[in-house]
Amino acid sequence: MFHCDVVNLKISKISLERATDFIESHKCGASLFFIGTVRDMNNEKEVTGITYDSHDKMVKKSFKEIYEDAIKKLKLEHPVAFVEHVKGYVPLGGISIIIAVACKHRSQVYEFSRFIIEEIKKKTPIWKKEHYKGEDAKWLEGQQIQIKK
Amino acid sequence: MIIKLELFGMSKEFSKDEFLHFEFDNEITVKDLRIKLEQMIKNEFPKNNNYLEVVKKSAFSSEDNEIVEDNYKLNKDQKLAIIPPIGGG
Repeated sequence: MFHCDVVNLKISKISLERATDFIESHKCGASLFFIGTVRDMNNEKEVTGITYDSHDKMVKKSFKEIYEDAIKKLKLEHPVAFVEHVKGYVPLGGISIIIAVACKHRSQVYEFSRFIIEEIKKKTPIWKKEHYKGEDAKWLEGQQIQIKK
Repeated sequence: MIIKLELFGMSKEFSKDEFLHFEFDNEITVKDLRIKLEQMIKNEFPKNNNYLEVVKKSAFSSEDNEIVEDNYKLNKDQKLAIIPPIGGG
């Protein structure tokens, strides 16, 4: 079972409750929540917030492919995943991403969650513009997108 | 033939609009589009090597949201997107 979305902060909010409701399953004995937030320092600069940009259609496609790859590679039993990433401005401490997963056994949820976030970093077209105290905002350099062969 | 290029991430600084438009007389490849974009950057932002570097490291995606290689042919009006280096999460 899988759900993913790009949450445009101009019209909606990212919600931990939605994630909790989605992954609830009597077939699963373990669940795990990964929550990405905006931290206060990066490259010795004081960060006040981040604006996220996203190619929404490619992002959703990428999330689904990552979920399917995880099932194949990790041989998960009863996998459930909820992945939402925001688009727009997030202030310091605000949530940028929620990855909530559930599986039959506890060892699998750690692997599953880690797999999803690491793959997103390599394959999902999302960009960050950091806002700083007393300096101009700047797009982060990032890494070249990894193409699926 | 008109190629409409949607801008994301740092490439949004290339224009005040969400898209760039490039006109070509004949069939081209993605590599030709990349060269045309580099020429535009050199003309409009002559001192900005960072923008040129971004174009070099960028991928391009087709209308059906697939990453396309440099040899991908473009022979009709269409929309592509530039995918600069990514960094979500």
